[in-house]
Amino acid sequence: MSLFLASFGFGLVTAAVLAIAAVGFTMQFAVTDVLNLAYGAVMIASAFVAYALNQAGVNVWVALLAAAAAGAVGSVLLNQGIYTPFQRRGTAPITLVIVSLGMTLIIEFGLQAIVGGTSVSYTMSQGPTVRAGGLVLTAVQFVIIGLAVVVMAAVHGLLRYTKLGKAMRATSANRSLARNCGIRTNRIVTVTWAITGALCGIAGTVFAINNGSFGATSADLFLVVILAAVFLGGPGSAYGAMLGAVIIGLATEISAAYITPSYKDVIAFLVLLIMMAVRPGGLLGAAVQ
Amino acid sequence: MSGDSSEPTLVAEDIRAGYGAGDIIHGVSVQVAPGTVASVVGPNGSGKSTLLKALCGVVTPSSGRVRLGERDLTGLPPEEVARAGVGYVPQVDDVFAPLTVRENLEMGGYLLAGREVAGRVERVTGVFPRLGTMLTRRAGRLSGGERKMLAMGRVLMLEPAVFLLDEPTANLAPQVAGELLTGHVRALAEAGAAVLIVEQRARAVLAISDYTYVLGGGQVLMADTPGRLNASPEFTESFFGVGPKVPQTPPERS
Amino acid sequence: MTTAQLYYLLNLLIYAGVDIIACLGLSQQFGVAGVTNFGFIIFQAAGAYTAAILSLPGDSANGGFQSYIGGWNLPFPVPWIGAAIVGGLIALPFTFLVGRRLRGDFAAVGLLVTAVMFNLLVTNYRPFLNGSAGLSLVPAPLQGEYDPQGAGYQWAYAAIALVLAAGAFWLVQRVTESPYGRSLRAMRDNDIVADSLGKNLVALRTSVLVLGGALAGLSGAILVSYITTWSPGAWGYAETIVLFAAVIIGGGGSHRGAVLGAILVPVGFEEATRYIPTFGPPGFVDDLQWVAIGLLVVIFLWFRPQGILPERRRIIGATAPSFKIPNEDVVTLAGPVRAPRAAEAPNPGRPATAPASRANTADPVVLRAVDLVRDFGGVHAVAGVSIEVRRGTLTGLIGPNGAGKSTLLAMLAGTLPVTSGHVVYQGTDVTGRPAYRRARLGLVRTFQLASEFKRLTVMENLLSAVPDNRGDSLAGALRGRRYWRRDEEAAIARARALLERFGLSGYADTYGGDLSGGQRRLTEIMRALMTEPAMLLLDEPMAGVHPRLARQIGAQLLDLCAEGMTILMVEHELAIMDEFCDPVIMMAEGTVLATGTMTDLRARADVVEAYLVG
Repeated sequence: MSLFLASFGFGLVTAAVLAIAAVGFTMQFAVTDVLNLAYGAVMIASAFVAYALNQAGVNVWVALLAAAAAGAVGSVLLNQGIYTPFQRRGTAPITLVIVSLGMTLIIEFGLQAIVGGTSVSYTMSQGPTVRAGGLVLTAVQFVIIGLAVVVMAAVHGLLRYTKLGKAMRATSANRSLARNCGIRTNRIVTVTWAITGALCGIAGTVFAINNGSFGATSADLFLVVILAAVFLGGPGSAYGAMLGAVIIGLATEISAAYITPSYKDVIAFLVLLIMMAVRPGGLLGAAVQ
Repeated sequence: MSGDSSEPTLVAEDIRAGYGAGDIIHGVSVQVAPGTVASVVGPNGSGKSTLLKALCGVVTPSSGRVRLGERDLTGLPPEEVARAGVGYVPQVDDVFAPLTVRENLEMGGYLLAGREVAGRVERVTGVFPRLGTMLTRRAGRLSGGERKMLAMGRVLMLEPAVFLLDEPTANLAPQVAGELLTGHVRALAEAGAAVLIVEQRARAVLAISDYTYVLGGGQVLMADTPGRLNASPEFTESFFGVGPKVPQTPPERS
Repeated sequence: MTTAQLYYLLNLLIYAGVDIIACLGLSQQFGVAGVTNFGFIIFQAAGAYTAAILSLPGDSANGGFQSYIGGWNLPFPVPWIGAAIVGGLIALPFTFLVGRRLRGDFAAVGLLVTAVMFNLLVTNYRPFLNGSAGLSLVPAPLQGEYDPQGAGYQWAYAAIALVLAAGAFWLVQRVTESPYGRSLRAMRDNDIVADSLGKNLVALRTSVLVLGGALAGLSGAILVSYITTWSPGAWGYAETIVLFAAVIIGGGGSHRGAVLGAILVPVGFEEATRYIPTFGPPGFVDDLQWVAIGLLVVIFLWFRPQGILPERRRIIGATAPSFKIPNEDVVTLAGPVRAPRAAEAPNPGRPATAPASRANTADPVVLRAVDLVRDFGGVHAVAGVSIEVRRGTLTGLIGPNGAGKSTLLAMLAGTLPVTSGHVVYQGTDVTGRPAYRRARLGLVRTFQLASEFKRLTVMENLLSAVPDNRGDSLAGALRGRRYWRRDEEAAIARARALLERFGLSGYADTYGGDLSGGQRRLTEIMRALMTEPAMLLLDEPMAGVHPRLARQIGAQLLDLCAEGMTILMVEHELAIMDEFCDPVIMMAEGTVLATGTMTDLRARADVVEAYLVG
């Protein structure tokens, strides 16, 4: 069974990276009703911010914080500067998706123009190999899993137990009623994008760490896997994104071990298409959208 | 929020408002004093809901003024109107469905200081004991009557000076509707608030009102105390088409 | 011109041909039908691969360094035809994504994912299409007889590419300027209303995917036979964005715009960067080019979403027909030279509709509701209603809010299923039939909310309601104007008569979105009348209408009834009921309380009380 455990371990790492990313993406959708396809671009741009610091000698885990900050700022600017003006005009959701694709081009290729086309990697040590409970992973991989658990717990705590988190959920559920309660929903939206932007930055850095080497367009494919996790759990549901990330992360790695590694992402995409055809609300969402 | 003052608290003057294409209400003036219930009745499409939305900021009036005492509320966004002490219960989408009953109430108390919230929740569940038994249930799972109680409880959390209620008895069974009106709505006014209630059930709401406006075709057709309206043949006429327009008099306390 | 410059020019022309054909296919899907196909590139890729494997020899040839299916070494033009066919067929499995249940942006994302997925599959499964290395040494057409490097050959290739592009333009014009094209645009503007008019949304979207897919496949074939290689790197989703940028910038919904966009973006823009001296590190200029495309997309969507050459207004006019590039806002649908007062237009005195012909004159009761009940989760919205509507009457249906009037109307029309009871129309039990089937029998309803197609003219709004136009399918549209002209002209004549009757002749060419509230109501009624119904179910036709116009509408409705039409009308304006309706049915709390004239009803205390109790 060690093949299973090994792939299970990799699955957990993938699920960890995916969870951090998917939760951020889905909460952006929940609170503004925008499928922000430029999320991957912001992820990788933040990873490069961490890289710049890392090259200057900063430890990658500290640089991660800078990436989080960069992601937060970038995402807020993206929403305030681009999506919100379009939405105020009554632009259709599909047009906003096209806008987000345009922003992806601008951010990713603007980044590539600056940093060049060659792949880079962080200067860091992978740490010792750790055996725990039958799993064999590097210390870094365990840290990633641990980081994801902490982030999920923090998000859960935020949404369930803090006034801000409840206001975020209220704004997502019924923006007009939230305003009737005196909630300044514009501020809540900005804060949500800042928080999810930080998640985006963390996810980008962790993704880059896990990948080993990365370039400006490395997140393109990963964005599609994020979409799969989001739609599996139900777009707009943070817990759905967590669930979706775990299922997709494990399913892709385990199938990669037993079938063939090259197609592992295909599993994710098939899951996405099946969910869209059968239950667009996702596992945790309403049966009919 | 004094109970005996005859100073009008919420005053709307000559409001014109609509949803883009054209105005639905064409120059409506209403007012409601603290400790009283003022009702707005009239046939469907007369603009009753639009009037309330214009008063709480959900719709911006194209002309006219809204003031609460001395404070001018015209054109303010809904969150600022709420902060000024106006509570609004919409007719539909009146609760946060994915949140629990307790969380709905907490959102109602968003503007309160943290330590006050628990106490207010207790007070609200004192008024609506049924809510107290289902604090952890998701609001989307409640029955129609329970949802309405939650919607009103949510507004009650802030103990606003003014309550704007949009057809709170819609989709409720008649006896539940009756209890809501005679029990809870009247009680809000007894506690000193100014209550402006839009209703389809004209007879029932007149029974608990101190003053009533009849709206038709976006204008005030009649305005008087329920007693005089019930005795007037034009009152029933006004439900059947456009009738004479009567100048409004300020509400009198009997 | 030097040889090098000549080859360069021919190269450009060939790419222009390819991109024009591809953009026309996308314009048909995205611009005309409103289907945002982010997976468009798959269709082009499928065509390219098909042309490649059909024209390549078996995969053991050339030393066997490639591995692929097919390899039948078929001669030109078979590979290209095969490419177009496969491009079209690939569209069929996508039906599940473009059905009605899915939000537009979700479906678009699904298509994007599909594109990425296929790219992955092809890249990783080498035996299929040679994996990531792709196919090379694809034979150029007729390379046995001619030298593909020769100038003459290149000229011929460019000429063929451009001729095919012109042919593609002719084809999509033919398809779009037809009743079928009109239905596509209606679906784009308001798919729910199009659905209620009986348009089969899934069939429409699928057919447009097939047509666009075939064009994309052909463009892939022309490209692959020229560059002789094709690999997964050539069709990532970045390539789709370029085509979308072209259609958006050129002008979505207008095929001339698509042609312009194709010339400006994939060709013009990418070529222009050739002339910028290479500066910076390698790939820098290419990166800036992508940034610029992204910027152009966002800028255009903000400042000029309709594109440089926007969709033109279709004026059903009286000038010469079909394929000539219009130099004014006039595109004809009505065929050759005729004055607007056509010979077929009926005299103003005669009725525009002929409801009597559809009526069963023996039975004076046209519509019967037998004990209709409708439950919503335990609440009886309609609790056992039986009514009869007699021929030639303008029957009113009134009651306080929540009485169940709209629910009853919806059950009679077929837009809402009954919980129990029967609906009998002209002696036939139609209880199980959906709305558009009842419409074909002559029982038609209107809607309360704005339901006109905003980017169609009033005339087109009316024409879109006609159910049996031969040109209203892809096959019919392909057969050309001659095939559907007669149906179309009959419909136009009917529409003109209605416009004249309702006093809106001057608004025939006004966009639906530019009408006032009252004009929209009239258009709604006229559209219902286009199907020559025997009975109309009107849902608050006077809502928000100025009283004077409401009276005019009422008078028109009475005229229709005098000519044999039967109308059941839900309305809140009780003054209208007074003046025009007899009898009036009054509902309260899900049942019928009373029937009679308004005067009768007003005199009844229980009716008055029902309104006050609410």
